Formats: sequence, C-alpha cells, structure tokens
Amino acid sequence: MVPLAKKSRKSGKRSKPRRGQPRGWFRRLLPYVALVFCAGAAALALYTVHLDHEVRSKFEGTRWKLPAKVYASPLELYAGLDLSEKDLEQRLERQGYREADTLSDQGTFKASGSTLSIHTRAFQFWDGTQPDREIQLTFDGSGVASFKSIDDKGKLALIRLDPLLIGSIYPTNGSDRILVKLGDVPPMLPAGLITVEDRSFMTNWGVSPKAIVRAAWADLRAGHIVQGGSTLTQQLVKNFYLTNRQTIGRKLKEALMAILLDAHFSKDEILQAYLNEVYLGQDGSRAIHGFGLASYFYFRKPVQELQPSEIALLVGMVKGPSYYNPRQHPKRAKARRDLVLDMFHNAGFLKDKAWQKAKAAPLGVTNRSAHGNTQYPAFIDLVREQLHGQYNDSDLTEGGLRIFTTLDPSVQAAAEKEVDQGLKRVEKARGIKKDSLESAAVVTSVEGGNVLALVGGRDRGYAGFNRALDARRQVGSLMKPVDYLTAIKNPSKFNPITPLDDSPLAVKLANGKTWRPHNYSEHSHGTDVPLYYALEHSLNLASSRLALSVGIPNIIKTLHDLGYRGKPMAVPSLALGAVGMTPLDVAQIYNTLATGGYYTPLRAIRDVTTRNGKPLTRYPLKIHQVVDPGPAYIVQWLMERVARYGTGAGMYRVLDNSKQMAGKTGTTNNLRDAWFAGFGANRVSVVWVGRDDDKSAHLTGATGALPIWSRIMKDIDARGIVNTPPDNIAQMPLNLVFNPGAVNQGLGPDPDAMYGHGQNCPNAVKVPFIKGYVPQGLTPCDTDIMSQNAQYHRQQQQQEQQPEKRKGNWFQRLF
Amino acid sequence: MQHTKLLIALGALILVAGCATQPGGMSRPGGNNPPPQPSPSPTPSQTGQPGPTTPQSSGNGGGQTATTAPQQPKKAPPRSASEISSPAVMSLLGRADTLANAGHMDAAASTLERALDLDPRNPFIYQRLAAVRLAEGQNGQAEQMAMKSNSVSDNNPFVESGNWQLIAEARKQAGDKMGAQKASAQAVNFRQAASQYNQ
Repeated sequence: MVPLAKKSRKSGKRSKPRRGQPRGWFRRLLPYVALVFCAGAAALALYTVHLDHEVRSKFEGTRWKLPAKVYASPLELYAGLDLSEKDLEQRLERQGYREADTLSDQGTFKASGSTLSIHTRAFQFWDGTQPDREIQLTFDGSGVASFKSIDDKGKLALIRLDPLLIGSIYPTNGSDRILVKLGDVPPMLPAGLITVEDRSFMTNWGVSPKAIVRAAWADLRAGHIVQGGSTLTQQLVKNFYLTNRQTIGRKLKEALMAILLDAHFSKDEILQAYLNEVYLGQDGSRAIHGFGLASYFYFRKPVQELQPSEIALLVGMVKGPSYYNPRQHPKRAKARRDLVLDMFHNAGFLKDKAWQKAKAAPLGVTNRSAHGNTQYPAFIDLVREQLHGQYNDSDLTEGGLRIFTTLDPSVQAAAEKEVDQGLKRVEKARGIKKDSLESAAVVTSVEGGNVLALVGGRDRGYAGFNRALDARRQVGSLMKPVDYLTAIKNPSKFNPITPLDDSPLAVKLANGKTWRPHNYSEHSHGTDVPLYYALEHSLNLASSRLALSVGIPNIIKTLHDLGYRGKPMAVPSLALGAVGMTPLDVAQIYNTLATGGYYTPLRAIRDVTTRNGKPLTRYPLKIHQVVDPGPAYIVQWLMERVARYGTGAGMYRVLDNSKQMAGKTGTTNNLRDAWFAGFGANRVSVVWVGRDDDKSAHLTGATGALPIWSRIMKDIDARGIVNTPPDNIAQMPLNLVFNPGAVNQGLGPDPDAMYGHGQNCPNAVKVPFIKGYVPQGLTPCDTDIMSQNAQYHRQQQQQEQQPEKRKGNWFQRLF
Repeated sequence: MQHTKLLIALGALILVAGCATQPGGMSRPGGNNPPPQPSPSPTPSQTGQPGPTTPQSSGNGGGQTATTAPQQPKKAPPRSASEISSPAVMSLLGRADTLANAGHMDAAASTLERALDLDPRNPFIYQRLAAVRLAEGQNGQAEQMAMKSNSVSDNNPFVESGNWQLIAEARKQAGDKMGAQKASAQAVNFRQAASQYNQ
C-alpha cells in the first residue's frame, strides 16, 4: 500500500502547473491554489488507496458466484445394452466426443466396422471420481454385443459416460460460468489470447501507453471513441469492477485499477482470472462467462479438448461475442476465426500443417437445439421444484452444487420430436388452425420412478408455461382404470367378466340438478356388458354405474393410494374424470399401476453433491405397496385389452405387434382434452393435447394423443409387458365373444357356443381371476357371456343394495 | 444396541447374498449342481400364502389347474443372482457387496439402484436393497423391498424364503413380534418348497 501512496503523491506533484511569473493578485491567490492542488492530490491518494482495497479484496475473495450445475443421467455402456452403433456415435458426438485416429486423448472415439473404441472422460460422479478409460464395444442387430477395456487399468464390465450438462441454476439475468485453471487449458488458449488481444501482456504494467496513444489518436481523429487500446488486465478490470460505459473518467479509473492489479498479482493469476471472467455470449437471460462454460456452450466439451480451430473461434469472439456469434453469423465468425488462425500461425505456435487443417475445419459449433438452459427449461423447472425447500436460492445460484438428475436426453429428444411433429400432423390432417394446439408429455421409468423426459409445450426455446407441471386439465376416461381397480379390489363382486349395466343413467344431485352421462357413441350396449369390454371401449354408462356402486369416496381413496395428492370433489362425475390433473400427476398414478401396485414417488433428482463431489443429498428409491398384486395384475390385464382391442388399438399402426402395452384414452366434454396414458414393461408415457384457451380441440384421446404416444414409445424402444401373474391369480381360458352389435341382444353370434364344456379351445383367452373368486360353475372354454354368471351377480347385487336403499343414496347422504 | 442391530442386519445381508457374488461374476456356479428333477409337489402359494377363501367358491381349483395344464417337470428356478444377471449387473452387485461390507450403506444402495436401472425386474437386486435397508435400520423400506422382490421373483422359492427371512428380521426390529413370527413361518414354507430342488 505504501509504495502506491507514494506513486500517487508523485503524480500529484507532477500535475503542479509551471507557467512563468504569476501576477500580483495571482501571487496572493497562490497559496489557495496550492492548497486546492494539495487537497486534490490527497484526495487522489485516498481514492487510490480505496481503489487498491477494492481491487485486492474483490480479486482475492470469493470472486465468482457459481450457479449449480445440472446433469442428465449418464449413459451406461455394457454388453447387452440395446443401443445401436449409430445411436451411440450420435450420442458421443452430441457430447462433444471427437472421432480420431488414436485414442490418446480423453473424449475421443474410433469406429471401424462394427467395432467402436472410446477413450472416455474422467468424471466426478456422486459416488466418486470415475477415471478415464479406453474401452471397446462390438455391435450386432440387437445392440452392444460385447464390451471390454483396452487399456491396462484392469477389467471392466460396464462404464458410465460423463453425463450431459443440461443446465445451470442461475439467478434472473445472472451470469454463469465453469471455472478452469490456467494449467488445465490447452496452452494455445492463453498464448492465442495474448497474441490477439494484448501482445505486450507479459511485460506491461497493466496498461500499455503505446496502445493508449494509438487508440487516443484514432479516437481524436474520429471525434468519438472508436478504439479501446486496452490490455488484458484493463479488460479484466472493466469486466470485474466497472460498468460498460466508456467515458474518460471511467478510462482513467480503469487504467489506475489495472496498474494496481498488475502490481499485486502475478501475470498467471491475472490470466487465469481473465479466462474465467471474459464474456463470451448470451443464452436467453443467462450470460456466458469464461472459456470453461463457453467450451460447453458452443462445443459441448470440456476446454481441455478444444482443437486449434475451436480455440481460435473463441479467442476471436472476445472482440464481440454477439457480433461474431457463430450460431447467428457463421460467415462473420468464420472470417474472424480464420484471421485469428493466421495470427496464431504468424506468431509461430501453430505449425503449417495444423494451420491448414484448422482453416479447412468447419466451425463445429453445436446447433441451437443442443445447448444450454434453453433446451430443457421444463425439466429444469421440475428440478427446481424438487429442490425447493431443501436448498435456498443462494445455495443454488452461488455455491457451485452439482445436481445429478434422471433426465434421459435421448428419451427427451424423442418426446419433443414426436410432440412437435404430432401436433403439426394432426392440425394438417384435420384442418385445425396451424399452431393452435398445445401439448405436454411425461415419460417415466416404471421401476425407480425416474422422470426421463418432460415436455411442457411445443415452443421450448423460452421458459414459458410448463403444461406438464402446471396445466390442470380434466382427465376424462383416464380415471376409469382407477374406478375399475377400486371395483376389482373387491373380488367377490367384480372380476373381468362381471356383467355391467350400460343402460342410460340419471343421478339426482344434492344441488337439484341431474347428472346424465352419455356414451361417446350415444348408444347403450345392453345390461350385461362384460367388465373387460366396458373398459376396453370406454363405456361411460357402464363405468359410471360401476363407480357409483363401489362408491366415489372409495375411488378417491384409490387415487390417493396411487399417489395423487389433490383433493377432488366427491361427485358422481368424478367416475368419468371430472377432475383437473397435470400430466405429471397422471404419470404418477399410471406409474404406480405399471409397477404392479408399488407406489414409487416420481423423482427428477438422484443426488446432489458439493462443487468438490462431497455428497449432500441423496434421493433414494422408495417404494410402498399400495395395491395388492392380484387386483393390480387384473387392471393391467384390462388395460392391455384396451391397447390390443379397444380404444387404444390404434397404437399398433405404429408399434410392433409383438409388444404388449397397456393404457387408456381420455377425452373430455366437447373434445377439449385429448389424453393417452399407458405403459410397457419399462416406460410410462403420458401425452396431453388440447388448447390453452380451453376451447374444443376437436380431438379424442385416440386421434389427438395416442399417435404421439405410440411414436414416443416406438422411438424410445419401450419394452413389451411380459405377463407374470402373481400367485394369487388363477387364469381361466375363456372364449371372449361378447358383441353388442350382434342381433341376439349382445349374446354373441351363436348362443350354443356359450359353453365350451372343457373342450379344446384354441382361441380362448387366459382371463385372470383372484384365486378363490372364480365364478361358480365357470369352466375352461366357457364364454364371457355366461348368463349364469350374470344371474348370480345380479342376485348378489340386489341383496346388497337393499340396505343401501333404506339409507338413501350415498351421495345424497354426503350433502 | 445400534451396533448389534447393524451386526444382525449385516449377518442377514451376507446370508441372503449367499456370499455368492464375485466382482465381475462371469463364472456360472451351475457346474456342480445338475438340473434337479422335482417331483410334483404343492406349490409354495398353496402351502404358504393364506389365500382368500369364500364359502361360495368351491369350484376354484379347476380354474388354476386349467392354465398350467400339462405339468412338466419344472426347471429349477435360479438360486443366485449370477444365474440370471448380466456381467454388468454382477459387477455392480459385487461392488455393492464390497461397499456394504465396509459399512457404506448409502453408497451400496446407490450402486444397487444403478443395477436396477439396468435390470429393473431382477429379484436378487431388490433382495439386496432390502438387506441394505435393514442394515440401515429402515425396517419399513426393508420389508417393502423384500415384498417387491417377491413380486418379481416369479414364485422362486429360493428368493422368497430369503425375502421372508428379511421381512421377519425387519418386523422384529420394528417390534412387531407377531408379524415376525408369521414371516418366519413363510420363510420355512418356502425353504421346504425350495428343498425339492435340493436332491
């Protein structure tokens, strides 16, 4: 501090005027003038001391707020993985892996024939650092056929690729960065920066008088400021401490601070700070600072792996990150890059061959759809929601936490693609106004409850209304499996062939109105519709009667068991889905159905660690059996019928016929909402299509949502369900012949075929019953329209309804 | 107190893990046990599970025999993870065992979850998760994981006997003596059912 104070005193002296003999009156004034000057000098000295303090404390202290980094789930590589060589190569390229002749560097791969060799990146996971390895995979028709390590670090059976960085949690209009150390960056980066931005950096005092004179001369001639003449140190000071305004006063302050900074800190320290501070682009409201993040932002790889052409592009962009933005102005950016490459070459650290190769290389920046926070805003919303209450905002935006999520980038990409294309297709095919439809989609993993993909709408460039999390829409017939499950839980009353009454229904409500549900076809299907058929074809009358007989409060209880947290009104129309739910709510309910009755809370995050990898929070797998395996199995079987023969059967126009899926359509009044929710063995998908203004979308679940759902399931190669009935299930082979269109009042084509008398029945379907509750008299090869069965049930119901009647309608009792 | 609990749980873990996992686990242990030829005997579900019964439904045996119609001598169900798990899963199970033996239960659970991502319906993975949760004193989750293991085991008596043993231990820890006894009885039933494959 002392020498600096001296310096400024000196400069104070220097500024004293010497202009020949002062006149008499001026002589008298001289002491005052001297006093003013001395005061000025003292003020300057004090100011310098103040600046010095500011420069030092800011530079030495916690200099940067580090937003939490959010990672996708890592891709596991192992023999047996169903991923083609092409898909893996694409994934590698998306993560900035580079095809190379040798695997000497991390982040490289080599393909030859059906063999792929990869040098993976070292990465700090939640459970420790995984070192970089060299591995080799071979492929066959079904995916990865073999997997082995080809380095000398020991055997391997599987490895995780470093996960994709999918975003940061930064404050509004905040800056984002990834810190790098000078020793870790390619030497060409600092050397190039010095060459292009500040040739005298290693020897100057923080300012370069020559450069200033040159710049001042240019500014003077132009009449305004046209040239900076700043050293790297001055640029750092400007970024660090000052606003962007260019005034003479600012310039002087900047120069003074640069000198101070240079006096206190080594060139390496200043250079490293510069590497991390420099502004290199904008991602929506997020400012991209430093080469560490810029490297990911533009090339999706760590700065260590940057190639000469890429280094030159970034170095060239320092001059004007938006003017030279390679995504918006590729020609301009390329010209600038090539100029910088020439400077590298002239300076001698880029040899002829490498120089030519670099100039021939394309810009190589990833496209807009593959970078930054703007790509996954909907999912990041969910991450924030899960973190809410456990971490405060400053932890998230400043502490550099690492958040490991469940997002699967390839599933997310498939869901986005199919939502976009599906909406366009259906708008075109049905003459719906272009861009009037909206959609949301959720994909989960069944076991584990991991949210793999979340689409909040069709326009994802901006973090807007997140329909997957925030749009509460009526679910319509998506509710029916919940109704049927509630019924099936009582096996003495309901089984898959229980005859249901599909005749018109009117329920007098407490408010005096009458509720009259209708079938979509406006037809009744008789009084003895087998239960499986009623769900298969989503019959509203039969389902309403079923729901009323099991009791709406019981259905609400089942909903809660399945993981729904809302409080729906206990009204009869709840049976047909008169309740607003978000697509994520629906995904939770259907995920529980898909697990065979084990509620597994959906999660978007698995682990949070500190910047240095110390575990902070785990979100472990938690399961809770909420439905007995028997009823869960029967409802799944019923939903498989929906997918195969019912309202969901359209899926097999897209999906492989051998894949058994289960699901349900949902359509609401006036065709406002179109839903499909369903699952295979390892994936649940929920798709909603409708309009934000709640007007009719003119779509049913089958026409609006199912095509998108099917294509998502196909793209992500969801596995088919393998039916393994639990041990309290008895399977009975039955001929399912119910046909309401047949002349004989729905009794099937041939009344004589009602009983198969235990003979060979090759077309019989194995119908599941809870053991001990197979209807009396039912034998293998019987049909589903067994009138005895119907009679038996009617008798039972009549017996049970009598006490009910005396007490009045359950519903009226409620109010 | 806490110590003995951990020891008991670790014992259970080692017991159910059968000490069968070798890191890498490529070798199949099937070499020394020839495929058993079980004689038709009551299935565990009939002996074990207290199935629901109603007075009206007398003719229900028929429904069940109809499906599994021609009773062939069944292939022995897998006794250990290595019989049905890929090398990748075995390597994770091996790592999880090592971590659990060293007392790093959280890391072991996290590794087992990785294995589940690869093979989501592998009953042996759920069983190990149950053992880890038991060792951590999370009795409720231990029981749930063991039940889940049962549900994906395809009625494998080797797996189910181990799971019921874990459930018995979890209930005992939670102070549910009656429940523990019931679970122990189930474990015995399934051990008997498993013994048919032991000749």
